[in-house]
Amino acid sequence: MFSVFQSRLRRPFGKWLFRLRDAEPGEVFLNQRRVFIVPTRPGLAFGLLLVLLFIGALNYNLSLGFVLTFLIAACAVVDMHLTFRNLAHLHLAAGRVQPVFSGEDARFELNLINRRKYARYAIWLDFMHTMQPATPQATDVAACAIQTVTLSTPTQQRGWMPAPRIRLQTRFPLGLLRAWSYWQPDLKVLVYPQPEDNAPPLPLAGEAKVDGLGNAGDDDFAGIRAYQAGDSIKRLAWRQIARLNDSLGSTLISKHFEGGAASLLHIDYSRLPRALDTERKLSRMTRWVIEAEMRGLPYAFSLGEFTLDQACGPAHQAVCLRALALFEI
Amino acid sequence: MMHLPVLASLGARLQLARGMSRDKADTLLLMLACALVLLPQVAHLPVWSSLAVFGLMLWRGWLTFRGKRMPPRWLLLPIALLCMGVVYASHKTFFGRDAGVTMLVLLLALKLLEMRAKRDLFVVLFLSFFLMLTNFFYSQGIVTALMMVAAIIALLTAQLSFQYTGVVPPFKKRLRLGALIFVLAVPPMLMLFLLFPRIQGPLWGLPGDAHAGRSGLSDSMAPGNISSLALSDDIAFRVKFIDPAPPQAALYWRGIVLGNYDGRTWSALQPRVPHEQLTLIPHGAPVRYQVTLEPHGRRWLFALEVPQAIPQLTGNPAGITGDLQLLAAQAINQRVRYDATSYVEGKLQANESALTLQDWLQLPPGFNPQTLAWAAQLRHQSDDDAVLVNSVLQFFRKQPFSYTLEPPLLGTHAVDDFLFSTRAGFCEHYASAFVVLMRALDIPARVVTGYQGGEINPVDGFMSVRQSDAHAWAEVWLKGSGWTRIDPTAAVAPNRIEMNLSRSVQRHGLSGLFAAGMDKTAWLGTLRINWDAMTNSWNQWVLNYNMAQQKNFLAWLGFDDVDWRTLASLMLGIGVLLTALMTVPLLWGQRPKIEPVDALYLALCQNMARRGHPRAIHEGPHAYGARLAAELAADRYLPIARFLALYEQARYGKNDAKSRSAMVSELKSQLTQCR
Repeated sequence: MFSVFQSRLRRPFGKWLFRLRDAEPGEVFLNQRRVFIVPTRPGLAFGLLLVLLFIGALNYNLSLGFVLTFLIAACAVVDMHLTFRNLAHLHLAAGRVQPVFSGEDARFELNLINRRKYARYAIWLDFMHTMQPATPQATDVAACAIQTVTLSTPTQQRGWMPAPRIRLQTRFPLGLLRAWSYWQPDLKVLVYPQPEDNAPPLPLAGEAKVDGLGNAGDDDFAGIRAYQAGDSIKRLAWRQIARLNDSLGSTLISKHFEGGAASLLHIDYSRLPRALDTERKLSRMTRWVIEAEMRGLPYAFSLGEFTLDQACGPAHQAVCLRALALFEI
Repeated sequence: MMHLPVLASLGARLQLARGMSRDKADTLLLMLACALVLLPQVAHLPVWSSLAVFGLMLWRGWLTFRGKRMPPRWLLLPIALLCMGVVYASHKTFFGRDAGVTMLVLLLALKLLEMRAKRDLFVVLFLSFFLMLTNFFYSQGIVTALMMVAAIIALLTAQLSFQYTGVVPPFKKRLRLGALIFVLAVPPMLMLFLLFPRIQGPLWGLPGDAHAGRSGLSDSMAPGNISSLALSDDIAFRVKFIDPAPPQAALYWRGIVLGNYDGRTWSALQPRVPHEQLTLIPHGAPVRYQVTLEPHGRRWLFALEVPQAIPQLTGNPAGITGDLQLLAAQAINQRVRYDATSYVEGKLQANESALTLQDWLQLPPGFNPQTLAWAAQLRHQSDDDAVLVNSVLQFFRKQPFSYTLEPPLLGTHAVDDFLFSTRAGFCEHYASAFVVLMRALDIPARVVTGYQGGEINPVDGFMSVRQSDAHAWAEVWLKGSGWTRIDPTAAVAPNRIEMNLSRSVQRHGLSGLFAAGMDKTAWLGTLRINWDAMTNSWNQWVLNYNMAQQKNFLAWLGFDDVDWRTLASLMLGIGVLLTALMTVPLLWGQRPKIEPVDALYLALCQNMARRGHPRAIHEGPHAYGARLAAELAADRYLPIARFLALYEQARYGKNDAKSRSAMVSELKSQLTQCR
């Protein structure tokens, strides 16, 4: 019944009626004016039941029938209070969110903060206006506690994606009424371009490599050395660590490779075939960055004005991917 | 890593120890609530349907316990059809009160077996609420009301148990929430009960069996009719005397007048005299009193002999017949209350015409030859009717007549058998024989049934008249004094009239046990008296609350002559007040207490949030300060830094109460400088 209303929410009327606001920084307090309440379908049926009970009591002049009718009608009123209380006066705060590749689900962390002395049960959260109707997620918040909920929504475009508007609803305790509220968290996720499937191999033998510079093979094992910040975890020499651990305490040791090819890996936007469109190029570069990182190859990165020297590691990768995500946006 | 499986199995074992899974527990709770709703119904359901419901519930319980699947539709459908068939076979209809209730009860039990979606839960709950109402057709006593309270709390608890999604609090806590909802619902209920505009029902014709199964006097009298009532402890009516109550022996509650005899059964005579011709010459002082009559499904009203005026009933005008019966326009199907005034002594219709008197002399031909012969013999002895009446009473007194609840059977010539051979009977035998004898003597006579006596409850001063006080006596018309009450039973068993039935009749077996309850001296008797008084006030204040009572109540509140607008605004006003009263503890009374130190810190955070520098949820005062240092200009940051340092010291440092309060005031002054 009220879905009609909700489908029109984008219109100014709905926006006014439900007091939809833009993203609010910091903690949001759900005051009375932000919580709405209507009967659910069973609640409407309950109203019909009350009418039937009343007519029955009247027709047969049953005094106890009146008592019963008025009593359970009053129970519904109490339920209205409790349902409202279950949601109102809740504090909301945005949590963290990790960047994702386009096509993956963005996972938004949301904090529900209960500063009251009563526990709140069965609060359902979901996103409004997402393309795919996501299944709402239920949560409880204990008295004077914080509950973290993670809601996910699929991503489609690279760049910054703000969290969709969130709807919090509850029918607790009797399910006869539904209280709900909207919240636009001040939260956005960085969406990296989607890595290209079946991308060509890394441009190891790029133009500069035609004359066969350097040693063949990048992973000739050249011995071990003490772990240095920035060394890939994949290169830890576990066997040696285990052997040395007794005498030296916990020291990390990583394998050292000598590879000439590493010096030649340059992921460069301008060197990609002109025929490809921008998104495709970014997509391919993303794949290469991931692959180089996986193989532990240091790589240089150029994207328009943006250039990075050869490096390796999560920080380097993050900078590259961020540049790819925000290119020309 | 090794611990994980151990922990998991431990968890599983804990789960087992704690009981069953949540789904099972919820379903069993719902079934328990339904059982509480169904239990009082057993009293008036056919035995087969009680058994069927019990069986279905047992089946459902077993399925739940074993975690088995619900029965498929193809199995349930024939069972449902079978149930409907048996309902039709036993009630001969689907409509009407009893058939409808039986159907609903079976429907509820079957629905429990077909609960699949969440929607079905509400169907079960709503059916249960409705069934609770149908139970009030049969009983509206205090016990029923208490059962209703228990059932409502159980249903609410079951209903809310299904709403949890993650954490489910223990049963005790859920029950407390259910009870809380109930308790909070009581004040609005009282307000609605008292003020909701009442309309006098019914809105439409009720099914024929709507008021079935009520005991009381009937419109005819055959041997055994009244003695069957003698064992019933049900209240017929209650009386509140405004004037001092007349002595026990004068408490004749007149009801039905019977003048037509067919040899076995007495029935009503069509009255020929319209009531304008009723003449009453009263003696002595009038007795004013108020009668609360239990519904008996017939039209007559009871009043002490002889009523002075016709009682006024709201919405059901009463009239009076020529033989002084008080009749309401419609059957008494609700408890009614009326005021009456009676004269215990007086002359009734001393001027009755000879034509009218002929009606009260008819006897069926061919019955009781012995009696007729004896009457003719008596007639020869005297011409004075009063002397003859006395000699007949002397006969009852002197001959070995006995008063018993279990009289021997009588043959075709019932009066002959009774007068000359068995000589044992209940009041109806004496009244019947006496009237036949009088008519044989050519004295106009009639049988009157009603109640005799009554018992004052010392707790509330109400007199209760029970079905066991049902009595039959005679009236004869004597020249000069008119219709005169003669109670032949008094001649045989004077105790019956002076005390009450329970002491005057020898009882055997079970009825003897029953008599113990009637004894005022036993502690059980005291209990009974208190319970009676409670039931009476329940009836007077709760069950009898109708349009007229509502008017009285509002007048007492100071609202004379209310119309629906006043009522509506009164209800609205009180409703708003109650809602506000409910809101305050629910919404505002639940805030945790915040230490003054923390309150000041929170004030600072709010202050800064308003200026665009909100504290992130993960930041403590230290980290927040560090961030503010980067975001703010130095002169603005300085007081904040001082405040934060002070706060850290107050909150986390070692302080006694004295230094703490000093710090609070210092923080307060520091806060004013943070902008």
